[in-house]
Amino acid sequence: MYDAPKHEPTLEQKEIKFAARNVQVYYGDTHAIKDVDVDIEDNTVTAFIGPSGCGKSTFLRCLNRMNDTIDVCRVEGDILLDGEDIYHKDVDPVQLRAKVGMVFQKPNPFPKSIYENVAYGPRIHGMARDKSDLDEIVERSLKRAALWDEAKDRLDAPGTGLSGGQQQRLCIARAVATQPEVLLMDEPCSALDPIATAQVEELIDELREQYSVVIVTHSMQQAARVSQKTAFFHLGYLVEFGETGTIFTNPEDERTESYITGRIG
Amino acid sequence: MIAVLTAFVLVLALASYFLARHRAQVMSGGQPASLHSRPSYHGAYSLLWVLLAGIGFLILLTVVPNYIMTQTLLSQIGEAAPDTAFIERQLILSDAKALAEGRVASQTGELRQRIAAEYSSISTTWTWVRIVLVVGAAMLAAVTTQRSVSPQYRARNRTEKVVRAILAAMATIAILTTIGIVLSLIFETIGFFAELDWRIDKFLFGTTWSPLSGVHTGNMDPDNVGAIPLFAGTLLITLIAMLVAIPVGLFAAIYLSDFATKKVRGTVKPMLEILAGIPTVVYGFFAAITVAPFLRNTGESIGIPIASESALVAGVVMGIMIIPFISSLSDDVINSVPQALRDGSYGLGATRAETMRQVVLPAALPGIVSAALLGFSRAVGETMIVVMAAGQGANLTANPLEAVTTVTVQIVMLITGDTEADTAAGPAFTLGFTLFCITLLMNMLAQRLVRRYRESYE
Repeated sequence: MYDAPKHEPTLEQKEIKFAARNVQVYYGDTHAIKDVDVDIEDNTVTAFIGPSGCGKSTFLRCLNRMNDTIDVCRVEGDILLDGEDIYHKDVDPVQLRAKVGMVFQKPNPFPKSIYENVAYGPRIHGMARDKSDLDEIVERSLKRAALWDEAKDRLDAPGTGLSGGQQQRLCIARAVATQPEVLLMDEPCSALDPIATAQVEELIDELREQYSVVIVTHSMQQAARVSQKTAFFHLGYLVEFGETGTIFTNPEDERTESYITGRIG
Repeated sequence: MIAVLTAFVLVLALASYFLARHRAQVMSGGQPASLHSRPSYHGAYSLLWVLLAGIGFLILLTVVPNYIMTQTLLSQIGEAAPDTAFIERQLILSDAKALAEGRVASQTGELRQRIAAEYSSISTTWTWVRIVLVVGAAMLAAVTTQRSVSPQYRARNRTEKVVRAILAAMATIAILTTIGIVLSLIFETIGFFAELDWRIDKFLFGTTWSPLSGVHTGNMDPDNVGAIPLFAGTLLITLIAMLVAIPVGLFAAIYLSDFATKKVRGTVKPMLEILAGIPTVVYGFFAAITVAPFLRNTGESIGIPIASESALVAGVVMGIMIIPFISSLSDDVINSVPQALRDGSYGLGATRAETMRQVVLPAALPGIVSAALLGFSRAVGETMIVVMAAGQGANLTANPLEAVTTVTVQIVMLITGDTEADTAAGPAFTLGFTLFCITLLMNMLAQRLVRRYRESYE
């Protein structure tokens, strides 16, 4: 099984963004996440894979405390972001979410213009001093999400009028605009066609230069294409975590192998 | 007699149902799949036709003879007593009917006795015709449908056709009633305007409302039918009501949908909806007996004179009445904004208040506006509260502390007053028609907004 790389530095050692220790999540009486220990590195794409209902999305949503919006959800154990417990009572989940951006399964642009969609985060966090500052943030974010060329002539058009792939890139631009340190993506391509998927995957690879990216995916090919690290969840347990190449070619655990070869899931 | 006939048709229909079903079962010979239609469809088909034939003839043969008899007898009375008024002839006829049926008449006389004899002879004939035709039609329907029972017979398709026709007939009744009401409004309105020599402008823009003041001379005075004070009063009270209802209702909806815990929501929402179940007449005397004296005393103690009947009292209480309407509609609209939009906003580090103000409310705005418009058209048409709390004098003022009157109050006064119905009907119907046009416009606008809102999220 995987050991925390803290203790055995390798050549490729990167800074650890998230460190989770002994995390348990309960929905009412259901024990959804059991004893999860994981370290998520900076400038790395980490993929969470596993069959439906295995807890990968639930765990992802623990990382920016989105589960707080669900009344019956309870999280135990430690999740540290840059060494600080994000579930400490002094931590404001609102500020945490500004640092840990999130992109959802279904593109969910606000019913506002493209410009306003991207400017939303910077506005509520007071990140722009004036209009030209805000214009610059919007342009930079749209460029980073590879949407600038398509959107620059219609920034005032409604975001809901874009195609599905464009909408998802708009959501990525929106998340990037608040200058997060980590980007969480919950099956970002499951509502997209193959061409849009390819565009978003390419984008994820570029985003790695600046952020730590965590992506939940149902597609093992996608995990293999975009990620450097892969975590396999099964029935609420983190079964195996390691280099993507190793997980896919030479898994240690029998269950991982079964899932990857299509025998369970 | 009619009760016995109805019972006969019902019993025959039921019997026919069971017989047809039984016969179909026998024909299937224990293999239900060999029938095109299940046995109960054969039964239902028979039942429907017996009912349609029996009840149909019964209604037809009750309504038509009644009309014919009334017309014949009235004309006979007219011949016998040419100088009686129409209403007196009707009185004679109803006395005659009472005599014929052995009830107590208001007056007896030679003419009445003669008409009574005539009435009983004609109605006996019709009674027999009715019995024969109803029984005959029902029996005929029963026999015909029994004979058609066979394995190949498409009883299911035919039953469904009959049912569909019945449903369509019911829908037609509803639509025809609406059309009838609107047409009668239009005709009465035209009649009223004709009486004014088509000075519609006097009605729409005149400022004096006293329509019955010149009636004893036989003419409506166009200078006394200005409806402006009524519409101004209606508008003033409605505005006050909306000023109360929109903020309270909307904020309650926002709290209940996104901020209240499940437990609070579970208790508060039904309680708010109880408000919607209180009859408006209760709100009316609550306004007149509780709120009005309270406001007047409060006003006195701080030196502001408030009339005991005022636009303010009526408006505030009407606003309270509309709160549950606006809050539950807005709550629905706010709830139907997709959770994904909220998640998207929370995921960017927005607080609940920021999410509500900048994402949820803009998305729900068309629905909220339409809720407000529906509330507005309810307020415009509301009657009981204003009758009791707003006042009767057609007083053109913008001061909410004075008594004003509304369109609905004036309609009530015209219809319940001492003036003959024929004279009072003209202005009342015209006011009603104008009110109807206003609410119709409001509702259409609201519906259009709701539809546009739905398009953007489905």
